[in-house]
Amino acid sequence: MRFKKIPEKIKSPAKQLLRWTYRKLASVTTSIYILSLMAVFYMIGTIFPQGASFSDYEKAGGKAIWFVASFDLLIFFSSPLFLCAALLLLTNLGICCYERYPSLFAKRVFPDKFEPTRSLKLTRHNDQSQTEVSKVLKDEMGFRLVSKDNTWIVMEKGLSRRRLTWLYHAGIILCFVGFIITWLFAFEGSITLKPGKAVEIAPKTTGNLSSLWQKKEPPTEWALILDGFQTEYVETAKLDYPKDKFSRLAIGLGWQLPRYEIKSDNLAPKDWKSSLRVARGVKTIAQKTIEINDPLKHDGYTFYQEGFEQRLKVRVGNNPIPLEVKADEELIVPGLDEPVKFGTVRTGRVTRLDGSVDKIKPYVMARSAGKSALKHEVKPERLDLHGSIELDGAFLTLVGFEESSVISYRYDPGVLVLWFSGIFVLITMTLRFYTGYYFLAYNIALSNGSVFLDVHVRASGLGADTDKLYKRMAHLLER
Amino acid sequence: MPTSELLSRDAYLLSIELRLFWLIAFIYCLSLVLFIFHLITRQNTAGRAGTTLLWIAAFLHIGLILFRTFEAGRAPFQTLFETLSWFACSVTLTWLYVSGKWKDVHLPGLVISGLALGASLYALFARSPAIDPLSPALDSWWFEWHVVLAFFSYAVFVVSAAIEMTYLLVKPMIRQGLTPYGFTDDMLEGFHKSAFRLVIFGYPLLTFAIFSGAAWANDAWGRFWSWDPKETWSLITWTVFTIYLHSMTIPRFKNLPASVINIIGFICMMMTFLGVNWLAKLLGIPSLHIYAV
Repeated sequence: MRFKKIPEKIKSPAKQLLRWTYRKLASVTTSIYILSLMAVFYMIGTIFPQGASFSDYEKAGGKAIWFVASFDLLIFFSSPLFLCAALLLLTNLGICCYERYPSLFAKRVFPDKFEPTRSLKLTRHNDQSQTEVSKVLKDEMGFRLVSKDNTWIVMEKGLSRRRLTWLYHAGIILCFVGFIITWLFAFEGSITLKPGKAVEIAPKTTGNLSSLWQKKEPPTEWALILDGFQTEYVETAKLDYPKDKFSRLAIGLGWQLPRYEIKSDNLAPKDWKSSLRVARGVKTIAQKTIEINDPLKHDGYTFYQEGFEQRLKVRVGNNPIPLEVKADEELIVPGLDEPVKFGTVRTGRVTRLDGSVDKIKPYVMARSAGKSALKHEVKPERLDLHGSIELDGAFLTLVGFEESSVISYRYDPGVLVLWFSGIFVLITMTLRFYTGYYFLAYNIALSNGSVFLDVHVRASGLGADTDKLYKRMAHLLER
Repeated sequence: MPTSELLSRDAYLLSIELRLFWLIAFIYCLSLVLFIFHLITRQNTAGRAGTTLLWIAAFLHIGLILFRTFEAGRAPFQTLFETLSWFACSVTLTWLYVSGKWKDVHLPGLVISGLALGASLYALFARSPAIDPLSPALDSWWFEWHVVLAFFSYAVFVVSAAIEMTYLLVKPMIRQGLTPYGFTDDMLEGFHKSAFRLVIFGYPLLTFAIFSGAAWANDAWGRFWSWDPKETWSLITWTVFTIYLHSMTIPRFKNLPASVINIIGFICMMMTFLGVNWLAKLLGIPSLHIYAV
């Protein structure tokens, strides 16, 4: 790259330093160093648990607290150090693109003579050859003329490498714009919806930019309503597979057979679905049944199926007032020394091993959660809805349960920019790397009474094949 | 069919699959022994025999993967057991395809058979072959695209690194005027260039794998990027290969430094695939990609 000579008047040290910095930032070598620095920073971020508190880090045996705190290593990817490095990379990328932009449209200058990579003997007379070669290259091989100013005529075929390279680098800058928009404006939260109850979205946070003037986003003017919630399971069989290596080898040698067995609670979650409705007053403005991998989008917000909560109603003995407990939590039962732990209520539909689909008769697995029970690995017992079990002498009856859907939401205007720029980068990069490009310069010379075509070919891209090109050229010219 | 019969059938099919997988691992092992012999003695006969065994193992491995697909009724790369098998097969197939142009060169087969054997034994000894249903988060059309392209790029990078290692080993010998391991002076640079061409082929695939992963994460978890260890290591791998591609445009970085960077890229790729699981366990870092652990 050429830089203009520095005029006398800007030769002050500050301006010289600025110019030196600019020149360095326009260089690909600098890109290599900055990218190396970024790679090291990414690695640092995977060594320290991101988002963990210092107390958790210390409890887990973390060392060099002062060092970790000084460099924000527990929130490294949003630390000033990391953001500065990312900004440096963006600046480098921006300057490189800016500096190379004029060269995309500048008139190319070629040397007067090229080093031939192949010579072909022509059968035509010298005066006919020029027309014939030009016709073959242009009309039959798809080359386009670039320059005929010098003795050697220059042609090319394929998409311009320089432009494609520039375009995908510009696309990466656009990706950075998407990241910045996300960083400035995105916020997220989570809500628990009970069936039939309208809930306004009242975020507890806001984007990094709006956090300058507000602590949280104002509530939405519309409400979200859960019309229905459904869980789906699939029946599974557990593989009884040996843990020791010799037994595994024995299976491989055919001396043992693996075995599948059915356990008492053999349902694995397949899907959770929430029928959501967005309403302003009594008017429905959007609705969709969402599931994992299929969110609802409305007014810039996206709502995701995150999970669900269950509250179980358990009667102890003949007590008319049932106790309430959350699924997967422990319940202190009056009269029992040790707490009881309930699992998730299995309800909804199940796809059986044979492919048939059934409605599940709701049940939950319950077991004593005391130390002795855990020590003796007491197996959980199945408790059906309206059914009873005896646990440590107490009769427990599952009299009912309530389900709520846990929905996470996110407002992120950067995503659209990211998708557009990401697809753009992928297309231009694929074209740049996979398609073929040929640069060809040729000259017709007379030597010892014979006419020779000297060609100089440079090819790039995986689709380019110079051997094939020479063969085709020879075939067409010999014809 | 009654459930008990279904389970007996599944157990029988699994036993066939495991026997076949052990047989394939044994062939990889024989092939590795022959390549080691080829390395020590520089006899091309051993190298040729090793490559022939790799062909046999690859055909059997394709059969194994098709068998697993039939058995599971879905694409066979959900668990680490399955992805290890897929990795071994794709790496072998990629090398065998590339080696078609360099018929007398067998040395990269040493790295390939070593990795294929390592991946197969890790799957057979340390992972469970159980066929479990897809977890809700994996049940997406992004799943196949994301994993297939990521593993395709991995296979390409492994072969590129194997070529690079061979080049670094052979080049000093060629300089001394020797013609070792089926190489001649005029073919070495072309052979080395194929490492670069492989990276060029794999780089957009890795880019697409990262992009599709982000799009999928945005649909499933509500965030396109979470700085999860697996995501971050895939970004590290991408960055290192970006450095490699830039190095190839600068004359002073083009030779040995670029070769070293390519091998570092391969190490980072292995970290993304396997090392990050170990790292997450070792450091107790929660990972959203825990299903792959």
